[in-house]
Amino acid sequence: MNNKIELKITTPRGLKFEEEADMVIMRCIDGDLGVLPGHEPISAVLGDGILRIYNNDYVKKLAVFGGIADIDQKSIKIFTTIAQRPDEIDVERAESDLREAEATMIEELEENQVRRLQVLMRRALVRIEVSSHPEETIHYDNQDS
Amino acid sequence: MASLRDIKQRISNVSSTEQIVKAMNMIASTKLHKARAQLEGVRPIYHHLSLLVDELGSYSRARSHVFFKEREVRNSLYIILTSDRGFSGGYNANIMAKALEHMNQGKNEKILVVGSKGSEFFKKREKNIIRTITDVADAQVYHGSESIARWVVELYLSGEADEVFVVYTQFESLLNYVPKVDQLLPAAASTEELNDDDRKFEPDILTYIDHVIPFYLHMSLFRAFSESHTSEQAARMINMDAARKNAEEMIEELIRFYNRKRQAAITQELSEIVGSADVLNTFE
Repeated sequence: MNNKIELKITTPRGLKFEEEADMVIMRCIDGDLGVLPGHEPISAVLGDGILRIYNNDYVKKLAVFGGIADIDQKSIKIFTTIAQRPDEIDVERAESDLREAEATMIEELEENQVRRLQVLMRRALVRIEVSSHPEETIHYDNQDS
Repeated sequence: MASLRDIKQRISNVSSTEQIVKAMNMIASTKLHKARAQLEGVRPIYHHLSLLVDELGSYSRARSHVFFKEREVRNSLYIILTSDRGFSGGYNANIMAKALEHMNQGKNEKILVVGSKGSEFFKKREKNIIRTITDVADAQVYHGSESIARWVVELYLSGEADEVFVVYTQFESLLNYVPKVDQLLPAAASTEELNDDDRKFEPDILTYIDHVIPFYLHMSLFRAFSESHTSEQAARMINMDAARKNAEEMIEELIRFYNRKRQAAITQELSEIVGSADVLNTFE
């Protein structure tokens, strides 16, 4: 039974991961790419995402950030700077990073909103000021005609 | 003629030097151990990527890409990796000689020098240093090489550098390190011709190259740093070992000399006493 595809992940710390798989799904920069044994030779640019390895109905997931994949009929070679197994991931840190990023984003959103509101307010004030003396409108009407 | 006290002083001087040398030897061997582990990690990915880039150069579509296209060379960028500290024998001298030799081919060079030894050397020779990096902590090397890779790409794309070389010391074995010059950009177009349809690229070959080359540069630089760093530590360790042996020999020799002199002094004193006793006896 040789209907498997060989997956090798190499990082700057050496060969990180090696496995025979039924199917591998990886995240490329413009969408997911699924690879079965006998795939045509292709080279792909990877994005940040989950690499799924399917084997006998069991799925392994790895976090892969960027890099490239070199695929031919029998093997997939992935070269990336970061590839992490679930047990290597510091969940607490990831969650605190997420919270921090969200908080900063909201802060910036609020800042942008405040700026927009300030503009709106300034314009409204100017409009009100200009139109607050209805008796002067006579002069403009003259110019219209 | 040195007095006994002088010799004793020298022995203690040499043995304190020996202590220092021993400590440096130990530090270098610990660092070497770490550096080797890092180097062995990065070598495979670098090796594969450089094969991949080589192969990429044999597709005619790739050759039109800016990273592969040969262009008229007005400025050459050299990235020269030296060390911050001395006591490593010929390590720095060799790498700088290699760099100078390569630059003497009539190139209009711009230099990025890493390490204070190289910075002093090229400043003295009034070379065109455009950037100096010193005191690199071991832990920063990885991210540092990434930012240098980005900087190199910027220079290359803006036309401020038309070719890029990295000068480093390749680590062969504990006793053998070879200074080397590698061309990073433009990536060499291989002489082989491959059919453009043999392999597909996702999303397309030009985008692929856009991503591969910075990644390749990052890994090349990181690997060159690792090679240099490992060579430096190995050179220092070997040199400190030799220095330790020399110090040991010297101490041994000094001790022998000291003993001989002491013996001579005792003999002289004795013969003086015996002589004067004889003289006194003859008068009795």
